[in-house]
Amino acid sequence: MKKYTIINTPVHNIDGIAKITGRAKYTFDITLPRMLHGKILRSSYPHAELLDIDTSKAERLKGVKAVLTGKDTLGKKQGIWRRFKELCDEEILARDKVRYIGEPVATVAAIDEDTAEEALDLIEVEYKPLPGVFEPLEAIKEGAPQLHEHAERNINVTRHIEWGDVDEGFQKADYVREDWFRCSSQAHVCMETHCAVADYIPEGKLTVYTSTQSHYYIKVLLAEILGLRENDVRVISRYTGGGFGSKFELDSAQFCSSLLSMKLCQPVKIVLSREEEFTATKRRTPMFYYVRSGVKKDGTFLAKEARVFTEGGAYTAMGATALYLTGFFQSFPYVWPSYRYDGYRVYTNTAPTSAMRGFGAPQATFCAETQIDLIADELGIDPIEIRRKNAMYPGYEVPGQATIQSCGLGQCLDKIDGWIKSRGKLPPNRGIGVAAYGFMSGGIFNWFDTPYAFSSAVIQINIDGKVDLFVGSQDMGQGSNTTMAMICAEELGVKFEDIRLHMGDTENCPVDLGAWGSRETLMQGNAVKMAAAKAKQQILEFATAKLAPNIVYDLDIKDGWIHLIARPERGLSFYDVVKEAIRGKDGQPIIARGHYTPHRKGMISPAYSFGVQAIEADVDPDTGKITLKNCVTAHDCGQVINPLGVEGQLEGAIAMAAGYGFTEDLPMDEGKILNPNLVDYMLLRATEMPETEVMEVETYEPEGPFGAKEAGEGLTNPTAGALGNAVFHATGISIKNLPITPEKVLNTLKEKKKK
Amino acid sequence: MKKKLLHLTVNDEYHELYISPKKLLVEILRDELGLTGTKRGCSTGACGACTVLLDGTAVKSCSILAMQADGAKVTTVEGLADGAELTPLQQSFLDHGAFQCGFCTSGMLISATAFLREDPATKDIKEGIQGNICRCTGYNSILRAIKAVAEGKDKEEGR
Amino acid sequence: MIHNFNYRRATSVKETLSLLEKFKEDYKIICGGQSLLILMRQGLVAPENLIDIKSVKEMSYIDYDPKNGLKIGAAITHREIEKSPLIKKYFPVLAEMEKNLASIQTRNWGTIGGNLAHGDPAGDPGPILIASNTTVKLASLERERILPLEDFFIDIFETALEEGELLIEIQVPILLKKTAMAYEKFNIIKNQQGIVSVAASVTMAEDGAGCKDARIVLGAAAATPLRAKEAEQMLIGKKIDTKLLASVGKKASEESDPVSDIHATETYRRFLVKDLTIKVTRKAWEQAKAAG
Repeated sequence: MKKYTIINTPVHNIDGIAKITGRAKYTFDITLPRMLHGKILRSSYPHAELLDIDTSKAERLKGVKAVLTGKDTLGKKQGIWRRFKELCDEEILARDKVRYIGEPVATVAAIDEDTAEEALDLIEVEYKPLPGVFEPLEAIKEGAPQLHEHAERNINVTRHIEWGDVDEGFQKADYVREDWFRCSSQAHVCMETHCAVADYIPEGKLTVYTSTQSHYYIKVLLAEILGLRENDVRVISRYTGGGFGSKFELDSAQFCSSLLSMKLCQPVKIVLSREEEFTATKRRTPMFYYVRSGVKKDGTFLAKEARVFTEGGAYTAMGATALYLTGFFQSFPYVWPSYRYDGYRVYTNTAPTSAMRGFGAPQATFCAETQIDLIADELGIDPIEIRRKNAMYPGYEVPGQATIQSCGLGQCLDKIDGWIKSRGKLPPNRGIGVAAYGFMSGGIFNWFDTPYAFSSAVIQINIDGKVDLFVGSQDMGQGSNTTMAMICAEELGVKFEDIRLHMGDTENCPVDLGAWGSRETLMQGNAVKMAAAKAKQQILEFATAKLAPNIVYDLDIKDGWIHLIARPERGLSFYDVVKEAIRGKDGQPIIARGHYTPHRKGMISPAYSFGVQAIEADVDPDTGKITLKNCVTAHDCGQVINPLGVEGQLEGAIAMAAGYGFTEDLPMDEGKILNPNLVDYMLLRATEMPETEVMEVETYEPEGPFGAKEAGEGLTNPTAGALGNAVFHATGISIKNLPITPEKVLNTLKEKKKK
Repeated sequence: MKKKLLHLTVNDEYHELYISPKKLLVEILRDELGLTGTKRGCSTGACGACTVLLDGTAVKSCSILAMQADGAKVTTVEGLADGAELTPLQQSFLDHGAFQCGFCTSGMLISATAFLREDPATKDIKEGIQGNICRCTGYNSILRAIKAVAEGKDKEEGR
Repeated sequence: MIHNFNYRRATSVKETLSLLEKFKEDYKIICGGQSLLILMRQGLVAPENLIDIKSVKEMSYIDYDPKNGLKIGAAITHREIEKSPLIKKYFPVLAEMEKNLASIQTRNWGTIGGNLAHGDPAGDPGPILIASNTTVKLASLERERILPLEDFFIDIFETALEEGELLIEIQVPILLKKTAMAYEKFNIIKNQQGIVSVAASVTMAEDGAGCKDARIVLGAAAATPLRAKEAEQMLIGKKIDTKLLASVGKKASEESDPVSDIHATETYRRFLVKDLTIKVTRKAWEQAKAAG
């Protein structure tokens, strides 16, 4: 195990003091002189033609400065899948038709929020309601109401993944089973709701402060939809209060505030209410899953077939990616000699479904891991053994899809096995369930169609040794700011405190695609490391000249000390050398650049994280209520960079993913979300959290900076499955319909008793 | 709507403000006094991001009319540290990484500060922050941070 | 958004009652406001006049005397009840319930009077107080009257408070000898309002053999907190055993009138009524047997 000076040490979060003293200013806190407040009028129909909007009364209300509708836009449709124009299907501010309850139809700017809200009530909209369709299996039928002209039978996208001969595999199998699952939706519930402050000035430039995961994407999308030059738009997001996948697409707060500001040449702030956050932002993709697996009687996996219909909601959003990833990760983290997946994303008159932490993999893992335990049970094989038998290993190639380089799955299984055995005999009505996962460490997708490198970094070393590090990555709480500063400091050989980080401003930061797809540590990290290595090289050139060692000696820098590796006592202070190096360069500070774009790294990612999670839970046989007791996770994220960060990501992932497993849901009635508030939407609080334990399995990932991989998204994959399996082992029942509520447990237990 | 005079001491600073009686305490703190450390995360008094101390007890400032705090002493997150000197709890949050996006952190710190003052140390720490939602941390790092301070207090007070 | 209102702050009961009379056409009383403000912010409640009684110190007291029992001023906060040595000693079930109500922040400001006056059938205090034969004192300029709490709840979010009337005191009589109470609510997230809740009070006969008196009160299982009177009758005069408890639970379930909503179906709620009634009645019974 390699020891580093800064990497894998418990440094304080670089934004820590700002956050714990209340000084950190989020978009939610931003006020500008002459700022107006905006609100959005949203459709109360799931499907309707927009015949007419009369804004005259609203415009006349004292304090209202502007009222705009879709007619006041350029009429462009947008979406992140820019490579495929038909998938850019969302206008955001609807012009002719509304396709979900909550779709924006008008927007108001006024002197204060109350006036803006009053104005909304004065806008008269004439709708022609159309029949709506809410379930994908209904929407795909002949004769169902059609949402988009181009999409017959409401089929938005389809995906197919295949290798080997699945039919032959099933023929050879000793045991075949098929199961149907329903995976629910989930709300991100970022503590900071979607918000934006747009500030357009007469010079033709637009600045937008916003809570986002990708200021670069928002800049480009805004420029396009508003008809502005890309770099006449500046997006600033120094602090983002949570993202989880909800904030890297263009949203209504950003678009409407920009439209209003452009009209008025005054700053306009729009903050979505918590209710709007639930009803009118994107959410996790619900999926109807069919999984059939064929295995040998000793548990060897032979063939797997999966079919999915996803509830797309009204627009594509990022649902097309979720559709692919769920099919891809359905086979993870095992060796399946043959596999076939067909996925269909179907438009429905519900709020669009898109990206949420895990991006289709939590759904896939729930189904896969639930079925594996059922198979193991039927065949009388231990749940860890059956997984061990089929686990991926370093060097494994997923045919046509991916090369697995580092893979600590085996060690993870061993550690969890050890923990389970240490628990001994469990009391009645308690069970331990496991689930294994593998996840991408940096989605390689460029559906955004950018010519830029996927990530870039710039370093400037100043005369006092202070290092300016410019990154494009976005910290939304996952800690990328701290991670990048650590990587830079370690590579360059300076102290963590020497790093001055610049991020969150498209005007002076290099491009990075954003905090999604678990890409920041690997991609931005690699770019930072490259820049730091180049800067270091420049410093070492000067140091070599000063120290004049024999050519066979190598120099290195550690903790601000430039030294001969073989004779570390012979060296110079980094801070002294920098001064002279700058003088020697005609007064130019040391500058270096780095970048990273994956090439020839398969279809999904250059690297994969792995893990195994065990959940110990009690099931109350009288009420069906589940209580989490312990959650132990062994995971492999390569080299841990920020240990406090990794632990935090793991525990946060457990809370979110356990919620997905048994408490969180978005029930709907004809497209209307029934629990759009934090009382009726039940996420875990401190009192529901189990004891957690993390067991690190260290591997070295050649693709990652210092061997590092992602830690944070993959960890949301296993929990629902582990929980379901815990219930299975506690009670003998397996529930395939998320969330696993007490009522479902009780009803299933009753049915089992009858049989 | 007739404005009323509000007398409010916030973080040991006395203010007199003419306000509309329908203003919530959180609106006065954030919008009138510029103390944006206190956040708002919901409209149903459920999330706790707006928690402040009102005459020493933790309350949700989004669920109190500002006029009800007339004459009271309020402490917000900005009033915890003494200049550059963090409180032991704030230091513990730093040491344990007990925050991620940071949006709920102000409310958490206030709830935990009140809890550590009022309740027997190290018992029921989960109860102490039950009224505060965090979507990022999964709470356990926050509990560790609070526990460390509580145990330190226990030692000091000979428990 | 909150609609405009005329704000008046009272500092005494007398002043409050005058204001209620003055504005009786259209007013709302705010004390802790933990329920009211949420409704006002959503525009669901928009009174012309808002009477703030948070500063009425004379409504903030907890008294006990061995003859008349507990007298709790309506403006006492949940947290004060939770921490009160008197309540912990003479009505521990109430203090225990408060620990599991909402959040500390809500309990620090919200009041027992406000909770009862809100008339929420899912409210925690209602079933426990009804099970202990609590009465409430209502006052207006014209008169004072005392009402059994179970008659105070009329319908969902509707109480017996008339125009100009203020709930000023909650009166909990002395527990009879060999009486114990228990309360439980079923929820998924701790401290959430119960999907269903049940409070039971059991008084054993002097000889400790049979049940002398019983109260079973259901929360969130009807339009108001509901006494399951038939279930109670099944216990009185009987020797309690597991079989009887099962029937009592079943009867309470039949007497309940729960709704189906996103949290639970009517069927599941009825089932929970049965399950909780059995648990809670058993607990009260066992404690009553042991009590002096």
